[in-house]
Amino acid sequence: MKSAPTTIINKLGLHARAATKLVNRATAFQSDINLVRGQRSVNAKSIMGVLTLAASMGTELVILADGPDEEEAVAALLELVNDRFGEEQ
Amino acid sequence: MTLALAGHGVARGIAIGRCHLVVRNELEIGEHRIAASEVEDEIRRYRDAVEAARMQLRELAGRMDRGAAAPAQEILQTHIMMLDDSTLQRNTEEHIRTELCNAEWALQTQLEAVLSEFRSLDDEYIRTRGEDIGQVVRLVQGKLTTEDSDRHLEGIPDRLADTLVIASDLTPSELSALFERGVGGIVTEHGGPHSHAAIMASSLGVPAVLGVRRARSLLREGETLILDGGKGLVYASPDNTIRKHYHEVQAETRRFREALEKIRDLPASSLDGRRVVLMANAERDAEIDQAIQSGADGIGLYRTEFLFMDGGPPDESEQLAHYRSAVEAMDGRPLTIRTLDLGADKLPEVLDFSEPVRNANPALGLRAIRLCLRDSARFKIQLRAILRASGHGPVRCLVPMITNLEEITKVRSLLDEARAELTHEGLAFDRDLPLGAMIEVPAAALALGDFGRHLDFISVGTNDLLQYALAADRVDEQVAHLYELQHPGVLRLMQHIFREAGRMKLPASVCGEAAGDRRYTRLLLALGLRDFSMGPGKLLEVKQVIRNTDIGRATAALTRWQSDPTAHQTPLLEALDASQT
Repeated sequence: MKSAPTTIINKLGLHARAATKLVNRATAFQSDINLVRGQRSVNAKSIMGVLTLAASMGTELVILADGPDEEEAVAALLELVNDRFGEEQ
Repeated sequence: MTLALAGHGVARGIAIGRCHLVVRNELEIGEHRIAASEVEDEIRRYRDAVEAARMQLRELAGRMDRGAAAPAQEILQTHIMMLDDSTLQRNTEEHIRTELCNAEWALQTQLEAVLSEFRSLDDEYIRTRGEDIGQVVRLVQGKLTTEDSDRHLEGIPDRLADTLVIASDLTPSELSALFERGVGGIVTEHGGPHSHAAIMASSLGVPAVLGVRRARSLLREGETLILDGGKGLVYASPDNTIRKHYHEVQAETRRFREALEKIRDLPASSLDGRRVVLMANAERDAEIDQAIQSGADGIGLYRTEFLFMDGGPPDESEQLAHYRSAVEAMDGRPLTIRTLDLGADKLPEVLDFSEPVRNANPALGLRAIRLCLRDSARFKIQLRAILRASGHGPVRCLVPMITNLEEITKVRSLLDEARAELTHEGLAFDRDLPLGAMIEVPAAALALGDFGRHLDFISVGTNDLLQYALAADRVDEQVAHLYELQHPGVLRLMQHIFREAGRMKLPASVCGEAAGDRRYTRLLLALGLRDFSMGPGKLLEVKQVIRNTDIGRATAALTRWQSDPTAHQTPLLEALDASQT
């Protein structure tokens, strides 16, 4: 099990396009990946789950991965979040 | 009497045409029991329906024009992902198994569960996404009940030019089907600015007003409607005044477009006979095509960030493939490739991952050429690819955010190394590849006379130059009013740049947004600019202004305005326009 805290820094937050990118990236890994916000935990490979986090800019999340490629999975998702999902702001 | 209905104007444009009401046959979803022995067949039927829906969405996404309709495509991708959502699929199949019910009903139950969760969220944007899930589920339910996928569009004519479609709501797939049939405009009863239908309509250029309550009961089939997508208004039985007004607006838009078409092949020469170079900014293939169609003299700014953002850093051959296809498409006209222009905050993988970059102020931090020179081995890969592309046609290399001479010297020596390597490897390239700098740092602009002779050309990035010169971030609403090209200090700075460049015979262009904004064309000409680079869609508009400008007079008017404080009572842009008559 590997985990890392992160903060959503893009202006629009985890809106549909960003969530689509995140789920796409997560699905590429074998590990089970969850995103945790407070008491809520959702499957990072489920678009519906990721959307219900309603994570706007400034939301703190924990990325949790469990499986053979957990290390890479956490690194990849962190990168995507820090990269503002490729968005300008 | 005129009836005016208001909604959310989500896609600009005027549409006048016949009203067509879409009365959707709402799917009747009923529950029925199945035998335990039928469960596997029912699940197979469900999976087939999901597959059929997926095929339909994929096909639609594939048909869409990749350049302009990118947001529309992304929305379809999101829908495909919702369709494939493991939670939805697993729960639906589980429901069929345990409750022994039909797939339509199982799906409906799951939809209600998801929607109630979405409704409980305190976030309007996310709540709106419940619409998307509902649309995806309905698409699958449609596949389960009938073979006909476009059931909702039944009875709609194949050609929809001059037809305005009024519906309860429209799914992205329905909207793109309407678009393909040439629909004039769109009105829906539900939805708002955050709906995907809004983004789709605006991306496809279809005038649209969403959220017009009870539109289908208030409007009549076949009557003439006027839709104003900018204001969010729909007029039924418009009186003569309104009709006349909108016909004039339409005619004016058409005349403007036709006038632009006529000057496509004419030179960008001013009234006093000075030739101006018009280039295009581009990154994707669609923009290159558009640049060629608009008669651009070349590409003045080819951005390369997208290569680095979609996945990891690209290797030399991947970069070369992109650059080469752009050079070849330009067919002899120059291609100005800008080296990577990203901030460290956007590109963590270039740096050591264990030490996340947290710039106090990214705009003034490690970015663009500063970042590239931190990892010169990787930067040289891009320089090699650019050099190799120059073996296939005229290429120029443009380096962003140059601050001092040392950076130019470092880039030159890396270019020299790359040249030596390529020669050794026997690969073709242009020995005289021009090297240019983007002038964005005010101190670099002022020092142009000091290090200009080490450059082959410059390109002024007005977006950043103004931000740095005025110490105001234009996306920060609270200070955006300070951000203006007409600030007397900015005018002096720009005049200095073009004067110094002229004295040193250094070709100088502007590739910031100001270059493509026709309100500023006369001002830029008066400041001394003769070489513009802009989004290809703006090229003809700017050319039209140039062809209607006497640069000598505009320059004299600017000088007068700058030297006489009382002249400031007239706004500068108005004074420039007045000088032309």
